[in-house]
Amino acid sequence: MLLLVAPAALVLVFFQVVPILMGANASFRDWALHDPKKTWVGLKHYAYVLSDANFLGLVLPNTFLLMVLSVSVSLVLGMALAHLLNRGFRGLRVVQTVLLLPLMVAPVIAAIMIRWLFNDQFGIISVVLQALGGDTPAWLAERWPSFFIIVGTDVWLWSPWFTLILLAGLKSLPREPFEAAAIDGAGAWRIFRYVTLPLLQPVMVVCVVIRSIDAFRTFDIVWTISGGGPARSTEVFSIYAYTEAFQYLNFGRGSAAGVIGALIILGVGMAFYRVLNRLLRVSR
Amino acid sequence: MKTAAPSAAHAARQGFFGALAPGGRRAFFALAVSAVCFVFAFPVLWLVLTSLRPASGVYYVHRGAEFTVENFGEVLRSGVVARAFVNSFAISTLATLLSLGVTVTSGYMLSRFKGPLADGWFGLIYLFRCVPYVSWVLPLYYVTQAWGVFDSYTGLLLPHIAVHICFFSWLMKGFFDGIDPSMEAAALVDGCTRWGAFVRIALPAATPGLAALAILSWLFTWNEFLFALILTSHNTPILTVVMAQFVHELGMEWHLMSATAVMALGPALIVTVFGQRYVLAGLRI
Repeated sequence: MLLLVAPAALVLVFFQVVPILMGANASFRDWALHDPKKTWVGLKHYAYVLSDANFLGLVLPNTFLLMVLSVSVSLVLGMALAHLLNRGFRGLRVVQTVLLLPLMVAPVIAAIMIRWLFNDQFGIISVVLQALGGDTPAWLAERWPSFFIIVGTDVWLWSPWFTLILLAGLKSLPREPFEAAAIDGAGAWRIFRYVTLPLLQPVMVVCVVIRSIDAFRTFDIVWTISGGGPARSTEVFSIYAYTEAFQYLNFGRGSAAGVIGALIILGVGMAFYRVLNRLLRVSR
Repeated sequence: MKTAAPSAAHAARQGFFGALAPGGRRAFFALAVSAVCFVFAFPVLWLVLTSLRPASGVYYVHRGAEFTVENFGEVLRSGVVARAFVNSFAISTLATLLSLGVTVTSGYMLSRFKGPLADGWFGLIYLFRCVPYVSWVLPLYYVTQAWGVFDSYTGLLLPHIAVHICFFSWLMKGFFDGIDPSMEAAALVDGCTRWGAFVRIALPAATPGLAALAILSWLFTWNEFLFALILTSHNTPILTVVMAQFVHELGMEWHLMSATAVMALGPALIVTVFGQRYVLAGLRI
């Protein structure tokens, strides 16, 4: 029995537990490429990160805003598309393939496409806007346009994932409650609100939990679309830790940021887990 | 808040639909579906179109009708892209085979054995799944350098397997939960060893699930960026990192960038098209 998990446990210990412990250790030390003495400095880096105006005023709000906006919009969109695909119409297979297309696109590729579409001189979106007589804002040179482009890209990438799982959920629901509601004369909206939603709730919550934890650590698309800019205004947690460690070459501070982020998301994850457990118990 | 907006939209739609003839309603539906499909497919289509334009026409993709495949040739001749392509392919394939090998036993253990050890292992996996990548990949940079595996296949493969262990053990447990253990019990009675029962009975029954996981694992590794960015350098270029460098270093050569991106999209597309059936069948737990 131990033998069965031994290989997995070994890889996990060497490539996840050891680095996490080492990161925790590094976060208490002055550790940089130009200063490899690794002097113990206690909580200095934590104090720095937790009092850094950038971290508190930009990075954390950006991270949570991205997480909340991306997850909620993808959930609503995914639900709508799952209902669409559940209807059955001619050309369903083609539509389904197109809607699931973003699942196979690497986030980096998606980010490159979006940068090209929104290029302020030659991007097709700017060209169309100009042809319509509007002016072309320098999208990626301002905070909120960049931020919403990032959110939009994340929604494009991940709503198919919601669609896929919610569609599987819809297809596995029992028929009887829907028939009963239809006999009682409920309209489409009431059936959705009082039959579909409660029945789908466990699936939705699992989706939201997994996706939120992943959205918190978004790195690829922000890095490629805006690089955290202009002037660090769209930085999210992962970019902050990476930048501190590899661009300012302050490994101790980057690790402290990493530990703080991990603690925050573990707290959020625990809260989600509790909600999940309660919901599953109620629905049983 | 979430309930108010759709209900208003619904009321409006009811009135709008009521005013339409059945034929018009169907046309409206088809139009809406096409619009949604267009929005979803447009970025990819535009990327493909850009990659086929000559360098002179790339800034005006919407004008002119010359097309060329020369961009792909130029990208491949530059060497680094071709090497990155081979590396990405090898890493994805190896990571898939190895993580499946490691997680299949771990998932089987989670499904068939009960007790504090199994519970502890499951809790550990959930916990590690939550830790943000950046929190353990930063120190991993130093760990791989200390062990001399930085910028090598080993140094990138093993962290990828570590990521897959958490999520895949979880999914794999689901597959084995769906297989009736009485078959294995019968095999044991007939004189099969525990290991033999696993290899001959449980493993073949879990093949559809394994196929689905193999596809997901391959796509995940192929598309992954942060690990490759931190754990590799010039010796082992990885496709996603090479592309991201294009954006920052030669930000204006959109035709070459698009050609590279389309090439990266190719294998993922092939894997998905041929594997879709297995994913849909395998993930129906």
